[in-house]
Amino acid sequence: MGFWRILDERGWYFLTTLLGGWPETLTVAIGALIFALIFGLVVALLRISRWRILRFPAILYTEVFRGTPALVQLFVIYFGLPDIGFEPSPFQAAIVGLGLNGAAYLSEVYRAGIESIHRGQLEAALSLGMTPARALQYIILPQAIRTMLPPITNFAIVLLKDTSIVFVVGVVEVMALARNLVTETLQSAAVYLIAGALYLCVTLPMARLAARLERQRQAWQ
Amino acid sequence: MLQLPEIYAENIQRWLPELLSFSLTTLKIAFVSFLLAVVIGVFFAVCRTSNNYLLRSFAITYIEIARGLPIVVLLYIVYFVPPQLFPELNWRWFSDFTGAVIGLALHGGAILAEVFRSGIEALHKGQREAALTLGMTPAQSMTYIILPQATRIVLPPVANYAIGLLKDTSLCSLIGVNELMNDAKSIAFADYQPMAVFVLVAAIYFAMSYPLSLAVRTMEWRLNISR
Repeated sequence: MGFWRILDERGWYFLTTLLGGWPETLTVAIGALIFALIFGLVVALLRISRWRILRFPAILYTEVFRGTPALVQLFVIYFGLPDIGFEPSPFQAAIVGLGLNGAAYLSEVYRAGIESIHRGQLEAALSLGMTPARALQYIILPQAIRTMLPPITNFAIVLLKDTSIVFVVGVVEVMALARNLVTETLQSAAVYLIAGALYLCVTLPMARLAARLERQRQAWQ
Repeated sequence: MLQLPEIYAENIQRWLPELLSFSLTTLKIAFVSFLLAVVIGVFFAVCRTSNNYLLRSFAITYIEIARGLPIVVLLYIVYFVPPQLFPELNWRWFSDFTGAVIGLALHGGAILAEVFRSGIEALHKGQREAALTLGMTPAQSMTYIILPQATRIVLPPVANYAIGLLKDTSLCSLIGVNELMNDAKSIAFADYQPMAVFVLVAAIYFAMSYPLSLAVRTMEWRLNISR
């Protein structure tokens, strides 16, 4: 049977089935994003700390998680942790795995953002009697967010694309459904092309947004 | 409680040689797809900066699509789609290794095209105009004036891409290529030692990528000083 006939006859079925995976894809992406945003900030703060004993684990963490593939990290978490008594669910493993991986990346973004703010700002805030935490919250981060927003948006795109590997730990998201459909119907061409188009529908507008934010940031400077 | 040291002491002689031999496959995939990605990247960077509207839109379309697709999806599309679209052709030569290399290279080509473009555009337009005024052909001005200068700008991002690529080769296990990750899976589940094996594999990937990333940092630092 020809490809176009398959697309004509089964296309709608493939499309609707694959759309059913988006809630799972988005849950993993958003969960991992929140995890990475919070944990990445913690790592970045440790990283710029004055004390070596705090800096060292942060550096070790970023190097290890940026130096190994996300796929291996997912396998360690999902298949490895049960060996030491934790049994994460597929969703937990996916969110924690991509989240830890992302936090290592975001901590560098945070660090660059924080370091882009002149030191005098921090000194001024401290001399006004603010605690370091308050200075960070009210003075440094609100200014640094301008520099950080474009790379964070880019990171969100990467994260969304990376969710396509979490089927290996058993999350039934878009890619898992695509693989199932191919097993069921053997129509790999139509199924994978539709799946690809669905990802593009989300990533392309996001890339536009990131490019716009980047232009705005450059206009500010 | 898991006794990692004891497990390693018992099995490392069996595991490590096997894993290391498969990491050669991983390096081979990374190396070949890197070379191919550079070729694709140069081609599309030139198209992207050309004055011809058709060439430019062709390059933009390719770059946007290849960068917008998850690598896994791209690998699946490259490996599974063409044989089904054109069943009358002979696909026997099209191994999983070939599919993996082409898929990774198509993704990398789009990344590198943007890197090369930024390198070309970072140079002042006057450089090219001066070269043309001196009677060089556009091709000559590219070879002798633009590319040598652009190299310095693009070297760090290209090296960073290479590190990412090395890690991304692990995704080839998902279309069945027998590389490090795939072998790790079979050992881990055959020996019922997922934690020990996957941590070991993580260490092998780290050992391959970390020297590269240290080299990049040195390079970035040096290029900065001399600027």
